Amino acid sequence: MITSMIGIALKAFLILLYATFVGFMFMGIIRIVTARIHRRVGPPIYQPILDTIKLLSKKSNITHGLIYDFGVLYALGATILALMFIPLGSISILRAYGDLILITFLLEIPMLGIMFAAMSSGNPWAGLGSQRALLTLLAVQVPLGFAIVALAEFYDTFSTYQIVMAQQTAGWSITYLPLLLAAVAYDIVLQAMFGKEPFDIMIAPGEISLGPMVEFGGKHMGILQIQHAIALFAETLFFSNIFLGGAVVTAFASSILNTLASLGILLIKQLAVLLIAIFIGAIFPRFTIDQAARFYWKWPTIIAAAGAILAAL
Amino acid sequence: MINELMIIIFTPLITGVIAWLLDIKGLREGISILGAAVPLAYLIQAHQTLTSQPSIQYSIVISGFKFEFLLYHLSWIFAMIAGVVGFAAVLGMASTTKDSYEWLFALMSLTGVYGIFLADDLISFFIFWEIMTFGSFMMVLKYNRKASLKYFLLSVLGAYSMLLAIGILYAKVGALDFTTIQQTLYQDAMRGVLGTNTLLSRNDMLLIFGLFLIAFGVKAGMFPLHVWAPDAYSETNQSYTAMFSGVLSKAGVYGMLVIYILLGTRLMYQFGRIGAAPKFGYVIAFLGGITIIVGGLLAALQEDIRKLFAYSSISQVGYILVGIGVGSALSIEAAIYHAISHALFKGLFFLIVATIVLRTGKTEFKDMGGLAEKMPITFAMTFVAILSLAGIPPLVGFASKWLLFEAVIHENMPILGGMIFFGSAIGFVYLIRFTYAVWFGQRPTDLDDTKDTPIPLAIAMGILALLNVVFGIAPGLVATELNKIFGKEIIKGTIWELNIGFGRYNGLLITIWLVTGIVIAGIIYFLGAKVRRVPVTDTYQGGNPVTMEYNLTIRRNFFLPLKETLAFWLRISFDRLYQDIGRWVEDLAETLRNYIYNGNVQAYAWYLAIILLILALWGV
Amino acid sequence: MVDWRLFEPLFEFARKRSLWIVSFCTGCGGIEMPPLMTSRYDLERFGMMANPAPRMADLFLITGYVTPKTLKRIIITYELQPDPKYVMAHGSCPLNGGVYWDSYNAIKHLDKYIPVDVVIAGCMPRPEAVMDGINKIMEMIENGTADSWKRYKENYEWYKKNQDELFGEGWREREARRWIPWLMDKKEE
Ligand code: SF4
Repeated sequence: MITSMIGIALKAFLILLYATFVGFMFMGIIRIVTARIHRRVGPPIYQPILDTIKLLSKKSNITHGLIYDFGVLYALGATILALMFIPLGSISILRAYGDLILITFLLEIPMLGIMFAAMSSGNPWAGLGSQRALLTLLAVQVPLGFAIVALAEFYDTFSTYQIVMAQQTAGWSITYLPLLLAAVAYDIVLQAMFGKEPFDIMIAPGEISLGPMVEFGGKHMGILQIQHAIALFAETLFFSNIFLGGAVVTAFASSILNTLASLGILLIKQLAVLLIAIFIGAIFPRFTIDQAARFYWKWPTIIAAAGAILAAL
Repeated sequence: MINELMIIIFTPLITGVIAWLLDIKGLREGISILGAAVPLAYLIQAHQTLTSQPSIQYSIVISGFKFEFLLYHLSWIFAMIAGVVGFAAVLGMASTTKDSYEWLFALMSLTGVYGIFLADDLISFFIFWEIMTFGSFMMVLKYNRKASLKYFLLSVLGAYSMLLAIGILYAKVGALDFTTIQQTLYQDAMRGVLGTNTLLSRNDMLLIFGLFLIAFGVKAGMFPLHVWAPDAYSETNQSYTAMFSGVLSKAGVYGMLVIYILLGTRLMYQFGRIGAAPKFGYVIAFLGGITIIVGGLLAALQEDIRKLFAYSSISQVGYILVGIGVGSALSIEAAIYHAISHALFKGLFFLIVATIVLRTGKTEFKDMGGLAEKMPITFAMTFVAILSLAGIPPLVGFASKWLLFEAVIHENMPILGGMIFFGSAIGFVYLIRFTYAVWFGQRPTDLDDTKDTPIPLAIAMGILALLNVVFGIAPGLVATELNKIFGKEIIKGTIWELNIGFGRYNGLLITIWLVTGIVIAGIIYFLGAKVRRVPVTDTYQGGNPVTMEYNLTIRRNFFLPLKETLAFWLRISFDRLYQDIGRWVEDLAETLRNYIYNGNVQAYAWYLAIILLILALWGV
Repeated sequence: MVDWRLFEPLFEFARKRSLWIVSFCTGCGGIEMPPLMTSRYDLERFGMMANPAPRMADLFLITGYVTPKTLKRIIITYELQPDPKYVMAHGSCPLNGGVYWDSYNAIKHLDKYIPVDVVIAGCMPRPEAVMDGINKIMEMIENGTADSWKRYKENYEWYKKNQDELFGEGWREREARRWIPWLMDKKEE
């Protein structure tokens, strides 16, 4: 009992460490690739880690009250929670409970924590940014919902782990037409979930000074950087798991090798998902919020709904 | 000895009358709280009885009419909703009610609800339905005439529909008690399957179903019959609205279940299925889906706290209707689960609104702000309620919503699935707006000496908040009761876990890991340098200095871009449509009065002559 | 709580290599920022990032002349930044008035009102000069001489006295009462 609990705790710690590290590398990659597209050199890949250390080591911090602190902690806590439910090769801890709906919700609620913290500061720009973030969330929810419905109806299960296992024998989800449509819609949604152009009006830096983030500084921002890293990892991981086949390698005799191989394959898939997002983000300007809503309620919704209806037939 | 069912039903009314007659401040509150507590105690006791026997029955004959009452698992669950939320609402009313008039009618409507849930024949069902409607109508009438009239008109429409439907059923079946009707219609469906003539024709069934749908849809606030709800919910004592929205709307939901119980098989035979759901259920579910979206979007655009929650209430009942409409055993359980959680969190919300209105005397977002510092207890309750309504694990709102999602999507209902996903996002949207405008930001200077909640309201909110948490972490508590309705293990799992085969949810695990995550975040947080508290004026606004004199928090028109996006759809309003129809009818009456009923005796004599002539020609 | 002195070199390195800029581009020098940030000189190589929110910024760039009106905003923005924070002033104007040495409406000595770590001379300084200044500030962070934020805390009385001499006491409230009604009236038009 005790040993198994220690084992779980150790595993969780390792997963967390890995996810944070890879997440930070992803953030670095985003900055480098964007810089290269701009024909710049760009920062070193470990730059986000330096940023986070700097933010956490600030000598003075401010708070706007309990909710301001709690919202930030809640955001990170919920992201860690979400991470634990997503199958990571064959080593995820709570994958038996890794329910599609649950994970979809868990990937959204960190934002709610950030909104709470931002709004409790009373800064009008934070309010404005939160409003935009919420309306973006509302806009993406329709295609996102249809994509999830398509998945659940196609595989007739809500367990992500079972979906991953089904893909090991039957081939990747995107090789089936209904799920390909769902994947396309979900990828467009992902663009907004990453907060990248063209759907980053909620943090429009020049206009509303980063919107919800405007009041965060010092260690609050540091925690949010960590949260962002883990969320990046979790979102790309979720996408690779449900649409790109995940990875469960059993070719080697040693389980450690198997795990490493699965992690490697997953990493490549995650990078692919990330790069698409970066490329789209680097070449598009920004939508205003009503344009974004109209866009999401038109094409991605139609695509995803078509996928869902096809999957249901 | 008087039967316990009678005690459950009539104690509230009797205590209400006593409170009204006595009208002594302090005493009337005590008596009324007792009146709400006694049925609750009896209901809790009845749980014991129901484990040993399937139901508790009671019938009474008054002047030839036989009234039957039955308490079984389904009605016990609904009665418990009424009991708990009604008790909390009555506790809240102890702080907000000014005179005994309200006690009488609030408790009268509680009696009505109990009666509806326990009734076992259509006549007592109808009578208690009217008692409930009358009580709530009087509660609204006192605050706002116009809102009450709108409520009254739609309720009358519902009542007539129900009466008509009952009449048709009685004419065809010849009985009014649920058991006979159910059996007769079941046999009728069997007859239909065998190909012999059925007792009721297709049109009869369509008519009965339509009439019942109108009757129950009005009370549940189903689109497009929801127009009374925003006004009625907001224009009354807000503590009472906790009961009004939390419990009375469940009467409509219960009615939908009664349709299933009484007419289910027959309707299913007549109209068949669409996908996995019965076709008649799909109508309910689809209207429920539209209700979610319409209610949610309109809630986001309101400028009045009470209106926001009224629309939100409509939206949430939409979920329940979707669950009921889909019609699988699991989805009905999910719907009832959501009915429970809706009653819990919406009751809590309206008690919070009651506190805010009581303490500030204001209801519009533009006058609010920064109350979190002044009302910490109320804010803590709000936090629980928000997390619950928004569907954030591990609170009850998530457990029930999760169950509903899985149940609906599992039945291959893609469109309904999309609708409920949209509904959950819109929940975030209007809740954050409420949070921002009321609790955060700059505080208007006239709210500087706002006090926190009075004790009875605090207790009432505490009860509901506690249940919100408990039923979320231990969803199995509810699931075992729900399973008893169908008599089999539809939702498996332990007390902490819901296991429906194709999906699992474990409230305890989520709580543990969420706490772990927050602890990890907390460790990072506490390793950093100390924080310094800064006032709300010390925020970055382009480097401009700010003082408390001017309020820069966005309060009005918070979701302006949404309004612009939806501009086209917002022009369509059913409320306006009904008003136009009303005006049109009024005009017609005016024309009639001017030209026909013009008060001229000679004209009336002419009418009489013409009618007689026509009759004579007809050959009568 | 925990003794972090052991890690101080790491922190100093992170601070040095991750300067987030909030730039106050009211002066002429603002036009030097685009080439600095974009592909010609690419400041992001050093981990620098333009950042509109002062709460998470480290380096405050005053890019040129300062008027009393902008000085008020500069002071408020400066005070919003968390410690440690650094200030860099572009050009002769903030240093000694530059070409506005006899103007009635320009601040001649910025460092009377807020402390400045590095001043880049020139009118206007080329991007190379700015990069040189940035190099300088990085060096100073490393050897601990970029201590303007400490100076501001220690000599707050003096700075405040100078500010109040210029604007008159209670200038924040007065300013707020002036600009917000202006903003609100404008909306109604
Ligand atoms: S120093 Fe020269 S370039 Fe810089 S602000 Fe002054 S006048 Fe303009």
